[in-house]
Amino acid sequence: MDLSLVISDLRKIAGNDAVLNRPEDLMLYEYDAGLRKSTPGAVVFPRDAQQVSQIMRVASAAKVPVVARGAGTGLSGGAICKVGGIVIAFSRMNRILEVDVENMCAVVQPGVVNLQLSEHVSHLGLYYAPDPSSQKACTIGGNVAENSGGPHTLLHGVTVNHVTGVEVVMPDGEIVQFGGKAAESHGYDMTGFFVGTEGTVGITTTVTVKLLRKPESVKTLLGIFESVDDAAQTVSAITAAGITPAALEMMDSWMLRAIEEYCHAGYPMDAGAALLIEVEGLREMVEEQAVAVSEVCLQKKAREVRVAKDEEERALLWKGRKTAFGAVGRVAPSYYTQDGVVPRSKIPGVLAHIGDVAKKHNLIIGNIFHAGDGNLHPLIMFDDRDKVQFAHVLEASEDILQYCIDVGGSITGEHGVGSEKRDMMTHLFTDEDLDVMSSLRNAFNSDGILNPEKLLPAPRMCREIKGPSRNPILAQEGM
Amino acid sequence: MSTAAVATRVGRELNSICGAEHVTEAPAERILGCAPGVAVRPGSAQEIAAILRFANQNNLVVAPAGGLTQQEAGNAPSQIDILLYTSRLTETEHYDPADLTVGIGAGCTVAHLCHDISKDGLLFAPDPPLWERATIGGLLATGITGPRRHGYGALRDYCIGVRFVTGDSRIGKGGGRVVKNVAGYDMMKLLIGSWGTLAVITGASFKLFPYPRNSRTFVACFPNLSDAMAYRDRVLRSPLDPMCLELLSQQASALLTPGSPAAAFWSICVRGAGSDAVLARFRSELGSAVAHEMEDEKETAFWRKVADFPALARERDPDSLLMTIMAPLRDVRRVLDVTDEVAAASGFTVAAAGRVGHGNLFVSLSPTVGRQLTKTNYTKVMATLNEQLPRDASLTVLHCPPEARPDIPMLRTPTHAGSMRAVKHALDPKDILNRGRFSL
Repeated sequence: MDLSLVISDLRKIAGNDAVLNRPEDLMLYEYDAGLRKSTPGAVVFPRDAQQVSQIMRVASAAKVPVVARGAGTGLSGGAICKVGGIVIAFSRMNRILEVDVENMCAVVQPGVVNLQLSEHVSHLGLYYAPDPSSQKACTIGGNVAENSGGPHTLLHGVTVNHVTGVEVVMPDGEIVQFGGKAAESHGYDMTGFFVGTEGTVGITTTVTVKLLRKPESVKTLLGIFESVDDAAQTVSAITAAGITPAALEMMDSWMLRAIEEYCHAGYPMDAGAALLIEVEGLREMVEEQAVAVSEVCLQKKAREVRVAKDEEERALLWKGRKTAFGAVGRVAPSYYTQDGVVPRSKIPGVLAHIGDVAKKHNLIIGNIFHAGDGNLHPLIMFDDRDKVQFAHVLEASEDILQYCIDVGGSITGEHGVGSEKRDMMTHLFTDEDLDVMSSLRNAFNSDGILNPEKLLPAPRMCREIKGPSRNPILAQEGM
Repeated sequence: MSTAAVATRVGRELNSICGAEHVTEAPAERILGCAPGVAVRPGSAQEIAAILRFANQNNLVVAPAGGLTQQEAGNAPSQIDILLYTSRLTETEHYDPADLTVGIGAGCTVAHLCHDISKDGLLFAPDPPLWERATIGGLLATGITGPRRHGYGALRDYCIGVRFVTGDSRIGKGGGRVVKNVAGYDMMKLLIGSWGTLAVITGASFKLFPYPRNSRTFVACFPNLSDAMAYRDRVLRSPLDPMCLELLSQQASALLTPGSPAAAFWSICVRGAGSDAVLARFRSELGSAVAHEMEDEKETAFWRKVADFPALARERDPDSLLMTIMAPLRDVRRVLDVTDEVAAASGFTVAAAGRVGHGNLFVSLSPTVGRQLTKTNYTKVMATLNEQLPRDASLTVLHCPPEARPDIPMLRTPTHAGSMRAVKHALDPKDILNRGRFSL
């Protein structure tokens, strides 16, 4: 493959100013919010599906790997390209094409920023429900690829529950449509299948998403506990009481202090843990649920339950939660976020285990996560100059994810598998499970040029004996 | 080789896989007139894989079967060598009331599962037609649910894991047993509504919901569709969050509640759940259009009938053309108007019911009383309908008289056919499963 010829073709397709290949420009595209780095050969900024199609034809003919990239906020290495490959960056395809109020949907290009969509339709009393913590930056296209979640997915579901149609460019350049504006479509649910394929099946160029009506009433509560265990017990108790909050987030003492020092959200500095709980819907129901949630918290030994009095207080409570990752940045040079999931009732056990893992590896691990659906986000602090410590971080991560698997959970709830967890897929799925998935990938991406080495484990892994694999990140670091 | 000889050889092989007591040669069942060679009731995914391996080696056609409640959908099969029942796969794989999740074998009936979990105050949201016969596997394969779809979402929203055997005999799974999980390809989405053409579903996991205490149904009646749809829009714009929001045409009401005054009107039926304060709010928001309310057993029985509407329509008139249509919200009115016009012009009368808050309709076209219709009437009505339906509307034909079947397209979808064929080829390359039922 002669990349310079490919680059010259890319310039013809998208224009001279739409292709980057100088090393200093490419550096910006060699990482995402995960741990790995890899320098692409070129970055191209198409303006429409036709250009994406032409780019795919060129890449297919030259057998050059391609990865689509939104804002690069992903935490699993999904948007990192193989060395020398092409990054298709969607920052120029960032238009909201249509807001269709009657059909309660919007048609958008993949580069539209998640929060912008909600802001754009806010005056109509509508919003787009999936709200990843990075929603100020992350794009709808990236959300589709990773099937992203967020705090409010507890009630409303993740991205796939809100996407009804996609236009997709296939590796051979064909532009195809799956689904449309209807909530569901007959025929195979290709839309549902496509969401979460992490760029390994095709590249989406238009997304039709559901818009929801803003709830009449919202109440946000902060339950403050002396111990992590009490807070964890409360999570199951709320569910058992028949209440499904819109969001149910948990922060441990370490996180509460880090956040409070950073953004003064009014979080207690001396508590063992706190639950940020939101109920929404019909006014009467919200009033009742807020009382019920308070009662459950107090029964489970909460020392205090605060209810946000107004929108300002509510925004402040959420600001703390949503800027948590920024807060951590002040405390440790680097951190690694995991995304394991456990059945809700196993939260006390997994938190105890995370505590043990932290002790064993002499690491600080903060916990801030979507407790309501058992989706953990242990944040492991480290100094990336300390290679020995870094090795401990990766071991600790694997240990935590293995625990999640062992209690019936999963290795990712909303960040995707990407490159960082692909080898752990063999702990979750059998060879035959993965073989079925591979055959689906190969049905669309037979040459493997679309986001290679992501999501599915390396072929050898499918046939080898299962067990702890050599960590790909350590391998990259020469360890 | 004669058919009888093949069946015998197939029967012998199946005996060796599943045990003779689970194999019936030349069974009495007919699937759209097609006589299966052998019926088999395998006891595990491994046995199913062995059956499918054998079928692939010998180019045999396999039709997966649950409670046989939706086997009239699609084209008539020209050949079924093996009718594969999932009825022995009824094991509870996991049940975690505290986590609100359950994993269950494909052969368990929906009614059985609902009954089992009700003791813990939990609700399994899907309410398909004929729930006492409908199985979990069939529920997923057909993707057909009932009125609770409005408040609880579609199957794709709460099926969190699936176990299956692909057409080419690989035992696989997708998802798991936790409520949030994005590891691996979403096999649940591919198999829901795939009508047994990709894999035999052996089990699945679901989110459960707290059983609503205290519910009430409010029925509002309108002289025409236009007023009914305006009322639907009003409900959708209100802060109410109903469990069910169902439209019934006059004909549908006449079928479900013969002799009731509602049969003279289009009805919008709203089911709310919650405390007395919440229900009072429903009452005030829904206003004076509400003609009557239902509660307790009467309410439960009513919604059971609404869920059964497709089955009742088919049963009442074997000559009916029954389909399920999905359309964008705004297009629901147009779909119903178009159906009515096209049907009337060809001599049919329409009965329609559906989740109008999500654009999910069941439409039955029966020959108007006194009309003798020919095959051409059916072909023409379907062709015109397909021409005039809005772009994003999709449909599956669930029932049709045998003589009209060959000339009627059974599936309409906005989704790229080549991609669906690629999926079919990846999982069932020899087209063993439900061959010919749906042309992609």
